[in-house]
Amino acid sequence: MAQLEVLNPVARPVRHSIAPAARRPDLSGATIGLYWNMKAGGDEALTRTETLLRERYPGVTFKRYHGSVGFLMRHCTAEDSDRMAREVQVVVGTTAD
Amino acid sequence: MVELERRGIPTVFFTAKTFVHDAQRSAASFGLPGLPIAVLPMPVTNQRPGDVHAMVDGAIEQVITGLTRPVEAVADDHDLPAADEHLAYRGDDLLAAWDAMQADFLTRGWSDGFPLVAPTRRAVEGMLGGTRRAPGDVIATLEPGFGLATVEKLAVNAVMAGCRPEHLPFLIAAVRCLAEPKMYLRNKAMSTGPHAPVVIVNGPRGRAARFNGGICALGPGAPSASNSTLGRALRLAMMNVGHTYVGISDMDTIGSPLKYACCCAENERESPWEPYHVTRGFRAEDTTVTVHFAYGLCELHDFKSTTPEDLIGVFATAATNVAQVGTGLWLLGRRADPRYKTSEQERNTMLMCPEHAQIFAREGWGRERIQRAMYDATRIPFRTLTLNKERAAMAASHPELGWLWDHPELPVPIVEDPGCFEIAVVGGAAGRGAYFYGAGEPVTMPVEETP
Repeated sequence: MAQLEVLNPVARPVRHSIAPAARRPDLSGATIGLYWNMKAGGDEALTRTETLLRERYPGVTFKRYHGSVGFLMRHCTAEDSDRMAREVQVVVGTTAD
Repeated sequence: MVELERRGIPTVFFTAKTFVHDAQRSAASFGLPGLPIAVLPMPVTNQRPGDVHAMVDGAIEQVITGLTRPVEAVADDHDLPAADEHLAYRGDDLLAAWDAMQADFLTRGWSDGFPLVAPTRRAVEGMLGGTRRAPGDVIATLEPGFGLATVEKLAVNAVMAGCRPEHLPFLIAAVRCLAEPKMYLRNKAMSTGPHAPVVIVNGPRGRAARFNGGICALGPGAPSASNSTLGRALRLAMMNVGHTYVGISDMDTIGSPLKYACCCAENERESPWEPYHVTRGFRAEDTTVTVHFAYGLCELHDFKSTTPEDLIGVFATAATNVAQVGTGLWLLGRRADPRYKTSEQERNTMLMCPEHAQIFAREGWGRERIQRAMYDATRIPFRTLTLNKERAAMAASHPELGWLWDHPELPVPIVEDPGCFEIAVVGGAAGRGAYFYGAGEPVTMPVEETP
């Protein structure tokens, strides 16, 4: 019986940790952000989401967003995220894939 | 979405079933492995509105749950490094043990699919002899998995790829290219597009290390052994150091053979112009590695033309391929990583064969004149250029160009400016070059001195 000893090729990752936001038990009356990264079809998904949530929850309002930088896909800057955090209580997003 | 959660905003995002592992892995790498996802059966791209609506109808309860119920902690246990830094394989003889290693590495996703050289302690120590750096030196933190690219881990992957010790400094330089914020590696590594790192070696130590810029420089074959092994090592480093794993964090729809290895040297001896790396800010006597991601390549074949103008006419046909994502992509903005406030032009790399380069040079043409001629010759009707582009994305990036929609036949440049055509002289005899459809901009790094 022969034995071949080799070194592990996989690098250890730098770990990050972020606590999730506290959830909102009832969406009634909430301002909901709809974030589209501008990949085709994502806008349709958010339009349908708005219709369904509006039917389900009284008093909801919606604000549409896309990132302020990017190309085929738009990305949020820190300033974009700050603005969304000021203006809405929850966010639904679509990345198209 | 993670950034919004950090700011106290509950989020949920739609993801197609195929991309769930990718989304979970991405969220985990940013520190929030349980980020809520509403799973759709298909991507929403290329779908009719009614079909998108039907998919959302089926996922709306997941949206509501994600926004209203506490997020459950999810362990991120995808492909964590094995606890043991040393692995042992047994068999009736060493060849059988080596077979067991190949099978295990394939199972773990650590292999590119071809047989690997066994990274024994002795082989890795030999590889480390190719650099003055200490094994524990951290070259970079490589995305998308934020893996620590120590010299030793790069050496292990270099051994596996078949590199020789003199190649290690070139791999280190190539990894530094990948880690440069402007490279936006996360986008290129994880995308559905077949982004392949094209490596171009310049300078005297490249020649000493037998990187091939002549016949069949992109391989395969013995003359290109250094090219092939360095290209392969860079792919393995993207996988095992950057944690770019197919089906988990590399979501290519169809992939590309360029991703196994795509490396060449510039044929500086037969180039009529200054070396390519000089155009990128280095001295001719420096040795450098340039990495430019590309989606694919097209041959630049022309045995007939004898004038620069005729060659440009032929080359322009390759550059105006709208089925390549980068063609006209500037209309939608620039590739940008908001974390580092980077932005990239969409550039393309032309590997011009020496014979074609001489046709330009004897008429007094340099790179800048070729770039300008390509820019002018590759304008195509706006209607054609936007066949596969999202109008809203163009409105967001270039609202000042909205008038173009009323002039669909107006010829529009395919790139942002003439400098978006990178030019290096590569290859042997006969009039055949290669046009790489690029993804973003190239990055060039110096190769460190060897022991």
